[in-house]
Amino acid sequence: MRKSIERVKATRAKRLEAGPPSPMTAEEREDILEKFHPDYKPEKKRKLAVGISAGEIVPHEVADIFEAHPLFDPADVDLSHIDYDVSVLVIGGGGAGTAAAIFAHQEGVSAEDILVVTKLRHGDSNSIMAQGGIQAADRPEDSPAIHYLDVIGGGHYANKPELVRALVLDAPMIIGWHEDIGVMYDKQDGKYLEAHGGGTSRMRMHSAKDYTGKAIFNAVRDEFRNLGIPVLEFFPAIELLLDEKGNAAGAIIYNIETNEYKIIRAKATVLSTGGFGRMHIQNFPTTNHYGATADGLVIAYRAGANIIDMDSVQYHPTGVVYPTAILGQLATEKLRSQGAVPVNKDGEAFVFPLEPRDVEAAAVIRECWEKNNGVETPSGVRGVWLDTPMIEEIQGKGTIKQRLSAMWTMWHRHDIDITKDPVLVYPTLHYQNGGVEIDEHGATRVPGLFAAGECDGGVHGKNRLMGNSQLDIYVFGRRVGMSAARWSKRSKPKKLSLQHIVDYDKQLKKAGIETDRVSPILLPDYRAETVISSSLGRFI
Amino acid sequence: MDGLTYFPGCSLKEEAKEFEISAMAVMKALGLPLIEFERWNCCGTVFSLTEDDLMHQLATIRNLIRVQENGSEEIVTLCSMCYNTLKRSSLFVNRDKERLEKINAFMDREQAYEGKVEVRHLLEVLRDRIGWDKVEEAMTHSLEGLSVAPYYGCMLLRPREVGIDDPDNPTIMQDLIEALWATPVEFPFQTECCGSYQVVDRRELIVERTHRILSSARRSGADVVITSCPLCQYNLQKTQSELKETIPTFEEMPVIYFTQLMAVALEVDSGELPSPLLAGLAIEEGVGNGER
Amino acid sequence: MGKGNMNEQENAMIRIHVMGKTYQVPAGLTIMDAMEYSGYRFIRGAGCRSGFCGACSTIYRREEDYRLQFALACQEMAEDGMYLVQLPFTPAPRSKYNLEEIDPSENVLLQYYPEIARCVSCNTCTKACPQDIEVMDYVQAALRGDIARTAALSFDCIQCGLCTMRCPADIKHYHMAQMARRIYGRYLSPVPNHLEERLCEIEEGVYDNELGKLMAMNKEELGIAYAARIREEAK
Repeated sequence: MRKSIERVKATRAKRLEAGPPSPMTAEEREDILEKFHPDYKPEKKRKLAVGISAGEIVPHEVADIFEAHPLFDPADVDLSHIDYDVSVLVIGGGGAGTAAAIFAHQEGVSAEDILVVTKLRHGDSNSIMAQGGIQAADRPEDSPAIHYLDVIGGGHYANKPELVRALVLDAPMIIGWHEDIGVMYDKQDGKYLEAHGGGTSRMRMHSAKDYTGKAIFNAVRDEFRNLGIPVLEFFPAIELLLDEKGNAAGAIIYNIETNEYKIIRAKATVLSTGGFGRMHIQNFPTTNHYGATADGLVIAYRAGANIIDMDSVQYHPTGVVYPTAILGQLATEKLRSQGAVPVNKDGEAFVFPLEPRDVEAAAVIRECWEKNNGVETPSGVRGVWLDTPMIEEIQGKGTIKQRLSAMWTMWHRHDIDITKDPVLVYPTLHYQNGGVEIDEHGATRVPGLFAAGECDGGVHGKNRLMGNSQLDIYVFGRRVGMSAARWSKRSKPKKLSLQHIVDYDKQLKKAGIETDRVSPILLPDYRAETVISSSLGRFI
Repeated sequence: MDGLTYFPGCSLKEEAKEFEISAMAVMKALGLPLIEFERWNCCGTVFSLTEDDLMHQLATIRNLIRVQENGSEEIVTLCSMCYNTLKRSSLFVNRDKERLEKINAFMDREQAYEGKVEVRHLLEVLRDRIGWDKVEEAMTHSLEGLSVAPYYGCMLLRPREVGIDDPDNPTIMQDLIEALWATPVEFPFQTECCGSYQVVDRRELIVERTHRILSSARRSGADVVITSCPLCQYNLQKTQSELKETIPTFEEMPVIYFTQLMAVALEVDSGELPSPLLAGLAIEEGVGNGER
Repeated sequence: MGKGNMNEQENAMIRIHVMGKTYQVPAGLTIMDAMEYSGYRFIRGAGCRSGFCGACSTIYRREEDYRLQFALACQEMAEDGMYLVQLPFTPAPRSKYNLEEIDPSENVLLQYYPEIARCVSCNTCTKACPQDIEVMDYVQAALRGDIARTAALSFDCIQCGLCTMRCPADIKHYHMAQMARRIYGRYLSPVPNHLEERLCEIEEGVYDNELGKLMAMNKEELGIAYAARIREEAK
């Protein structure tokens, strides 16, 4: 590895002078994706056998949790005893859910009449982990229309147009809201410090150093706390409740510390449960937080919400490869947007550093395996270099500690100085491109059920661009909050039912699926095989 | 540029901004600017009298370590309270090396304090290093005709070992006043305590003290009272309105920092001055508020 | 379920003591991975697993060191002989306030968090910070009303709570600093004009027509428009 680093150093001056390779043409992109992107391997997916979206193609890992039994027997649950009776229930305490609660309150629902439930702590989510930024077309050189084109092109034209419109047109307003609640965005000379992201044609990435998600969410949560909206932590929803007409009517939540369930009746329900990173699709490592196990997707699907674009998975092109202890953790795209370029073992740049993520990831995979130009770690993992010292060559000394302090700290903890040495990277599972299909108000197919954030589907098509997940969270978090509030005012308390769970299980049987799998899975299991095999108890 | 390693203390960044503004301007004019050092922390506020309470020495000693890191052997303060705390703490550890070792061992992330930093008050620097004649030379607007009462309070003078002047018969502020061609007014309560932090829960006590101190100054013919302590200034100035409510005959007395008086005489930025004083000085509003 | 491409580790094994119980684990794992390898399945004590959330605050002592050490279990490597315990929750009430109505002057932090005046500058908070933040320095900045410095110094705070658990003066550092950052963002860092202008344009419907056209395009037309984009170059 050291020898290869020397080659990277030796070629740096020349590469800086020559500039990075040019972007690929549309044909080149299609070609490299087809051959090298993990999404384009049909054997890794299958058709769903049951449910409203039966026939849709999804990764095996997703099909496995859809084609599974509920965690409990509906007959064991007493629906006549309601523990919480609220207007708006928000399931999921990340950015989208927290914003939804705030805007439901702004729309006139009292704080006590809203309830947020979350599987882990309030804020344990991918929302806080976003490093690079949030897109918003607010410079005179830019426009929401250009943003629209970047988004829909990056998504391979599969995105729902009305959702993209909402995303790009609400974006500046969301930045304005963040300003109002005191988010400290990076600014210079009275303007935002804005950069490119992969696949953008204008510089519109707003950032808060490389703690963007944390900086935004912490202000949002602090505002939420000032409003006094109640939260139940360590209380995942394990099944949605419907009324007799099939409208969303609340949820069963489960205290994962005491194993007790509670019944929530709600006039409107918001799903903001995030994605599936911890399902380790195709056995990839992931950047995602511990609870990203697609629970919301499963329970919404059983309740009759359809899914869209779930065949598409985002692999972030630059996950950490070395040191192995932090394998798969994120090396933010901001490193590339500030000037770092991926290079191979010989110090050659092989790809334009800011292609859309799927293309960039495919290029890294090709370099490592087809061209055999990757670098192998002592433990046998392959990756390519991301030449981080270029950042300060281009932007000036001190840039990394100033704008990329999280990245600096992460490697520094392992005695790697990214201002001096390049870092080793390889694609890592990052994002669920699809999800529960919504309309521009965040409404799903199930009346009274709304969805926002990573669990929603249709916004990003087959590939999300950097900085649009933070945007999705707050644009649609806000929209569903308001939609749910309005819906709740028109809706009456309902008689609760779990008939859909009973029916779904019947469908499984009818489809010939015999399995002891149960879902949602709530948390991954990382215990050593030896421990699991000699375990006598069950987690749930 | 040569200058003095300056320790502001918290009050000078909040309630007592005028003190810092005027001191900065005056010292710049006198050619020995105040240079605030990096990473200072609260002085410790009140010197702990408990001999074995080393925890309360940490704040002061850490400041002295920062000064040492800065390559200085001297630290200059404006606030009497900070001066008193820092000075007493430095003596406290210098006198007993075992204490110093204990503190150094506790602060294992910092350099060890070597005990060499001298704590000085700005008045001392004016007297001993610049000299009253130099101050007089620098004056461009004579304060002739103005009667000024120096109010020392406690912290500049007591205990004797840290006092910048004779605790019973101090003259340092009178000398300053004379250098500016104003008339020093001696009054019996010039070293009387203002009531200090009692203001937090026994405000009536401060009002009473203010009455006693300021009435005495007034009777002695003073137009203005000067001080070097933000807490004294706060207590004496802020309770006057309450005093007027109970004793309508009470005549308000401006209480300002000594550096503000100097700034007026040197015609540099004095920070905001109470308007009755401006009238008394026969100077227009805005004079002395020039270069900030 | 595996953790993805996790390769088998070096053969060397080390001992860790989890709350006093000793386990043998492979070398080269983070504290979190080592605890999981030992058989712990976290409910609390694991969050983002990337050093951003502060769920896995960990306290440890090495066998032959008198000092306590502080770490994020997901970021720090397990070492032979570590005595480990997690501290996944901090009892630390925060002060409620209305950002729109507060007075963003020097005294505001002291007003909502008066206990910062109890700081004796012992620096224990700084020593406890797994993010290497100069915690005591920002408390001191807050004490003297320097909101900008408090905000800047505390920017990398992940609110793990270790400072607050260690503080002999019972200060709630991270809540106070959060308030400082919001005050800074809201009042001391002006909103750029170009954002305000864009908001007006959107309000006036300036982009509705163009977006309408784009929305009506089929895939082929969009492909042509997409390919015709000209990428802005950094100046």
